[in-house]
Amino acid sequence: MRITKLYMDTVVDIQVVTRKEVKEVEEKINRAFLAFQRVEEACSRFSPSSELMKACQDVGRPVEISPYLFEPLYFALQIAQMTNGLFDPTIGKVMEEYGFNRHYLTGSMINSPYAETVTYQEILLNQATRTLTIMKPLVIDLGAVAKGFAIDLAARELIDFEGFVINAGGDIFAGGLNEMGSPWEIGIQHPYQRDLLVETIKLSNEAICTSGSYERKNQTNPSLHHIVNPNTKSSPNHLVSSSIVAPFAMMADAFSTVAFLLGEEKGKEVIEELNLKGLLITPELKIIRAGGI
Amino acid sequence: MKKTDKKWIILCSTAVAAVYSAGYLTTENQVSIEQPIHQVAKNIQTNNKAVNDGSVSNAQKNKLYKDGTFTGTGMNRRGSIDVMVTIQNDKITNVEISDFAMHYSESDIVGLPDEVLKNQGARVINVSGATYSTEAFEDAVQDALNQAFNTVG
Repeated sequence: MRITKLYMDTVVDIQVVTRKEVKEVEEKINRAFLAFQRVEEACSRFSPSSELMKACQDVGRPVEISPYLFEPLYFALQIAQMTNGLFDPTIGKVMEEYGFNRHYLTGSMINSPYAETVTYQEILLNQATRTLTIMKPLVIDLGAVAKGFAIDLAARELIDFEGFVINAGGDIFAGGLNEMGSPWEIGIQHPYQRDLLVETIKLSNEAICTSGSYERKNQTNPSLHHIVNPNTKSSPNHLVSSSIVAPFAMMADAFSTVAFLLGEEKGKEVIEELNLKGLLITPELKIIRAGGI
Repeated sequence: MKKTDKKWIILCSTAVAAVYSAGYLTTENQVSIEQPIHQVAKNIQTNNKAVNDGSVSNAQKNKLYKDGTFTGTGMNRRGSIDVMVTIQNDKITNVEISDFAMHYSESDIVGLPDEVLKNQGARVINVSGATYSTEAFEDAVQDALNQAFNTVG
């Protein structure tokens, strides 16, 4: 059974291989989609009614938040610390100004108040009270972790099936085995020709996420895309594509962005240091493999 | 080799567990509390066709859109897309893609290296790439919204 829906400005496709009854399969798939809905409602920076955007209106005051927001934000802040701010979830306002400010379903634009200089250090999370305090007006962008988190929650719903694939616009978790009883074959897209693949890999109970500069460009300035270095406010172009295989989609999602920001050499180092697998592609189509992919 | 990856695996599994242990992700019994979402999910399961039956209750008169599930079609240069958009209290609660007939022109695949052709096997069904946007789907969603527009209100 296969169902496709729109969430988080992308196409989410869930496919299940099973002998279980249709009703049970439908229920589980709906619950898997519910995970996407919940994470989107919590983490969207495009909707003023999201938990994230409401919490950001209360500067200097702790706001209690649900795990749908707390957990991906906590993860994002850990990555920010690890990379000394090269990865920084306070990039949201810059993204807004670069034209990534339009809600994909309603077309409504968002324009948020902000302080001139912000970093992740202005976000305080209290694990005991499950509260978020922001110290300056800022916009949090969880684009590099929220989708992965939703995929991991959805995978948990589908874990009892013989096989399943959750594909959220190219970020994928492949569970169990395919119809043939083999690991799932996943293609890695060619950065310049969208119907070609550069590689096919086999996955079972693993995620793969790809960060690339080729899908989401700024409308007026083609050198800007949706991955932005918070220090330079520009989009790095040392790589065109960075794919990471990891046990969790949130890890694959975040570290594909980190590797993209780090570029060829340092990206490879980080992938190997963390026992991940990755495939990085330069603008000249040189392929860098890491971790035995 | 350093095993610092463990930290990240633990963070991810803790994150997933946090949603479950807190009882946030609804169980079968809890689902009824989540009324709007539950009802919408139910509509989709039982009504595969659009349910624009034209009946508008008093409560709906001041709304911009009728409640229900509406189909819309969008086209781009690669083909056509059908979506089913569910609206509840003027809020889009669900967008399901009911038909996806995108084509790639033959000129796009002329001159493929052999290696790539080999990889294009029919068993390759999922492709990891930079997150593609819903741009191509916007017309289809808009078409469905036009149908849902509440002319009575």
